[in-house]
Amino acid sequence: MFRSALGKTLGFVGYTIQYGCVAHCAFEYIGEFVACSGPSMEPTITSHDVVFSERLSRHLCRIENGDIVIAKSPFDPHMNICKRVIGLEGDKVCTSGPSDVFKTHQYVPKGHVWLEGDNLRNSTDSRSYGPVPYALIRGRVCLKVTRGTSPDPSHIHLNL
Amino acid sequence: MKRCNDVCCVCVGGEMFRSALGKTLGFVGYTIQYGCVAHCAFEYIGEFVACSGPSMEPTITSHDVVFSERLSRHLCRIENGDIVIAKSPFDPHMNICKRVIGLEGDKVCTSGPSDVFKTHQYVPKGHVWLEGDNLRNSTDSRSYGPVPYALIRGRVCLKLWPLHHVGALNQSPTGRVVKRSD
Repeated sequence: MFRSALGKTLGFVGYTIQYGCVAHCAFEYIGEFVACSGPSMEPTITSHDVVFSERLSRHLCRIENGDIVIAKSPFDPHMNICKRVIGLEGDKVCTSGPSDVFKTHQYVPKGHVWLEGDNLRNSTDSRSYGPVPYALIRGRVCLKVTRGTSPDPSHIHLNL
Repeated sequence: MKRCNDVCCVCVGGEMFRSALGKTLGFVGYTIQYGCVAHCAFEYIGEFVACSGPSMEPTITSHDVVFSERLSRHLCRIENGDIVIAKSPFDPHMNICKRVIGLEGDKVCTSGPSDVFKTHQYVPKGHVWLEGDNLRNSTDSRSYGPVPYALIRGRVCLKLWPLHHVGALNQSPTGRVVKRSD
């Protein structure tokens, strides 16, 4: 009886590991749901919005200017940031604010991207910490599934 | 009679096709399952890495094969003096193999041994300072600055090739690793 219970337990553990690995690979290579928090991407994405971030663009290097991406924070490897890509490698980005008299520019180095939040007054992004290595990008936000903030709770937006 | 034979041939052909399709789908399903398990093993346990380039001589020479374990990186147990594999900050498809000289908050010496005035820099939060053991022939943090911790893939713990050098890796020969008091 013990042997059969042990056999069943091992079989169950084996199945759990197998399907856990398949699910992990699906989230790794296809896409994942992300709950955003913070005001730095308003009005496009507000706090507590849930978005779907697809991974294929990142793996196939098809991230373009204007895409909203989820990336690992350069300052905390356990946190993620959600910003818009303003410049790719080689692009010339404006690093001065709209109220500055003298405009300053910077070229985005090879292998990096320039990220900025849509809410420029309330966003810590590449304007403070510089260009972000492309390898930190996790995925591209392609769908917003709003939750509770709009009259229709199942409202889905396309083309952010 | 002829029609019955034709119908039987069609039936048998259809069954063979369905069983071949079922076997193919089953094979594809098993391949995907075990491919995912193998991917997760390489992702969370460790992977074999073939190194190339002179920047880590004499500790690691070109064409050496090492084993890089992933647990330290996921549990944030990378320490000063560890050799790590990291994604290159300048090319997301390339990896670099360097030694960790300083962690976040450490003060690293950014001037060369031949400079008169020593300059120092503090490693910012969430970053590490990487240098190759072969200081004369290594592009590392001395040129491109501190590297975000999130780019680290794993910690090299064993050398597997060449066979007469199998085993753990040596300490840093450069003496530039920041010593931590705690």
